[in-house]
Amino acid sequence: MPLRRPPSAVVAGGRVAVADAAALAAGVRAGQKLSTALGLQPGLAVFERDAGREQQALDSLACWAGRFTPTISRQPPATLLLEIGGCRRLFGGTEAIVAAALAGCAEQAYAVRWAVAPRPLAARWLARAGGGLAVDAAGLAAALEALPCTVPGWPAAIVDRLESFGLRRLGDLRQLPAAGLRRRLGHAPVDDLARAWGELPDPQAAFVFPESFAIDLELPARVEQAEALVFAGQRLFAALAGWLDGRQLLVRRCTLCLRHDDGPPTALALNFAEPAADEGRFRRLLREHLGRLQLRDPVEALRLQADELVARPGESGRLFAQAAAGEGAPACLERLRARLGEGAVQALGEAADHRPECATRGREAVFDLGRFLPSTAGTELALMGVGTTAFPAASGPSAACPDVVPPPSREDRAGPVAGGPASLAGAIGRHRPLWLLPVPQALAERGGSPHWHGPLRLLSRGERLESGWWDEGEGGAAGDLRRDYFIACNPQGQRAWIFRDAAGWFLHGLFA
Amino acid sequence: MPSPIALADVLARGDVWRGDALASLPAATIPSGYAELDAELPGGGWPRGNLTEILVDRSGVGELSLLLPALARLSAAGGWLALVAPPWLPHAPAWAAAGVAPERLVVVGAGRQVGWCVEQLLASGGFAGVLAWPEAGIDARALRRLQVAAEGRPVFACLWRPTAALRTPSPAPLRVALAGGDGDLSLRIVKRRGRPVSRPLALAVPRPLAFAGRNPRAVAGPAFSAAADRGLAAAPAA
Repeated sequence: MPLRRPPSAVVAGGRVAVADAAALAAGVRAGQKLSTALGLQPGLAVFERDAGREQQALDSLACWAGRFTPTISRQPPATLLLEIGGCRRLFGGTEAIVAAALAGCAEQAYAVRWAVAPRPLAARWLARAGGGLAVDAAGLAAALEALPCTVPGWPAAIVDRLESFGLRRLGDLRQLPAAGLRRRLGHAPVDDLARAWGELPDPQAAFVFPESFAIDLELPARVEQAEALVFAGQRLFAALAGWLDGRQLLVRRCTLCLRHDDGPPTALALNFAEPAADEGRFRRLLREHLGRLQLRDPVEALRLQADELVARPGESGRLFAQAAAGEGAPACLERLRARLGEGAVQALGEAADHRPECATRGREAVFDLGRFLPSTAGTELALMGVGTTAFPAASGPSAACPDVVPPPSREDRAGPVAGGPASLAGAIGRHRPLWLLPVPQALAERGGSPHWHGPLRLLSRGERLESGWWDEGEGGAAGDLRRDYFIACNPQGQRAWIFRDAAGWFLHGLFA
Repeated sequence: MPSPIALADVLARGDVWRGDALASLPAATIPSGYAELDAELPGGGWPRGNLTEILVDRSGVGELSLLLPALARLSAAGGWLALVAPPWLPHAPAWAAAGVAPERLVVVGAGRQVGWCVEQLLASGGFAGVLAWPEAGIDARALRRLQVAAEGRPVFACLWRPTAALRTPSPAPLRVALAGGDGDLSLRIVKRRGRPVSRPLALAVPRPLAFAGRNPRAVAGPAFSAAADRGLAAAPAA
């Protein structure tokens, strides 16, 4: 475990089971009494062996291995068999798979011994004898014959017996007649030999990827800094990525639960803009989230749970490899959202409301796995009781400027009746500014005309917006508006959208 | 005696660069929608994969309308656009009417992390256009990072800065200063690849309405009286 500080040892039944490198250097050995070990290394951190946690670790590692092959077999207490015969080409050879698997294990801080062989039992024996080699069918017999008889882990009585016969290597054993060996040693060792050499079938119980994903990880020491959880979290996310590969799923939402000694657990919801199964992406998102997190209490355990899953769509490979440039928009927005907060990154949406404040609303950026959704603005427009009319607000004949005023009134009025909602939005949008002030800014009035960086000249007739009776008085709502909007220009050439209501002149938008 | 070489042959060589020729950019460009502007921009349009700085002091002179044809083109092709730390709220109906699909227009409220956000957006390669309003004190190093992030990506990256920034150098290969007038938008290319431009361009960007030409003060007649009760004023308004 990486979070443990050396020197440390795992103890089972009062005796040392495993010790780390620092403890080994001090003379601590497996099988020693705990008191002896503490005498040799006074500062030794001692952990009780927990079979349940070992099982969990093996399960999580089996999930993680789903990225290499779907055929996995768990051999408790500490062995994992991967059937890689079918996917060697996919990864580019045996060496490539082994290198990737070892790198992944090292990243999760597991110490492994490995071997590759054509038979499962042979691979286990070779790994147990030291490992680090890959043999093919031709070299298998030679490699097995050189193994000592202690490797298969037969009962002590049998091993002693073989020792008394003077049989040290499996090769010596193979040369003897099988019938005689069966009589002297029982069936099990002879059958094992036959399985290892491939004379008997050796079916393995396949690991079934769980239906739903939820993995716990107890931390060996309490963690008070959120950043320190990144490493432990990576182990969970590596398992999640492997499990997703094994089940051909993508995750859209998952929850990382941080459990404390006392008090309720902290739940960290991770949302993905598009369903994902990429470990690197999980890791970056996790880092952003943990970087922002303030821990209330020390964390003693993590739990990762996949909440929302979608099936992975199939995809054909390209004839010519095309490297994707960058991580793409969805992943980028996800990271921005993780750092800046959910509300800070939003796509725009139109709302069916004539009040300018309400015509724009933020919406989640929707990525449909590379395809773009058609505009939904038209379907969302449902007209309520609205009144938008352009009117000649003139009190005198000089007011109407027929030579310059486009006919917004007719279009706007005709929209809901004839053209349908979409054309209404389009027609109105042409007369709307690109920028809107968050809150209308009150304008000074001098000599009867509004001022904003100089006197404002009105360029249009008034457009009356009168709407919103339904949410008048509700907290946070725009309420009932009754305004006359004008397009105006100041001496600097800035085009502004101003309105006049009972309270005076206001600046509300800019025609940028 | 060396054989005489015709000047035309020398000039035709690929490794000879003529100072009066506009450099052709490796990255594609987006037509700006204004023929006279395209003629002056290297490659015939707004550059992709390079920073473009637009320097303007006052908003509302048509500075966004200048880019709208290009943005509409990007949006129509299915590209995503991002506004980082815009000075005001975008009004979705107006953007939609200009041809920019609001559902593919992402607004990022970046706070004080504009530089970081823009860099991430540019480097992601998933955006067709990124418009950013950096804080006034953005330094040359941060700009350099943005230029590096944009390089080689098919993204139109545009930074909006005040004209005071003209005094400081910038790694952006294209810098354009805008000034509003009563009629057209005056555009001056401060820096570009190739020979400098001497005269400013006057572009007729679409404005909400043409110049009225009359004193419309009479329009501001008393549509309301301040004392009028809101409920009573509703009836005669239509």
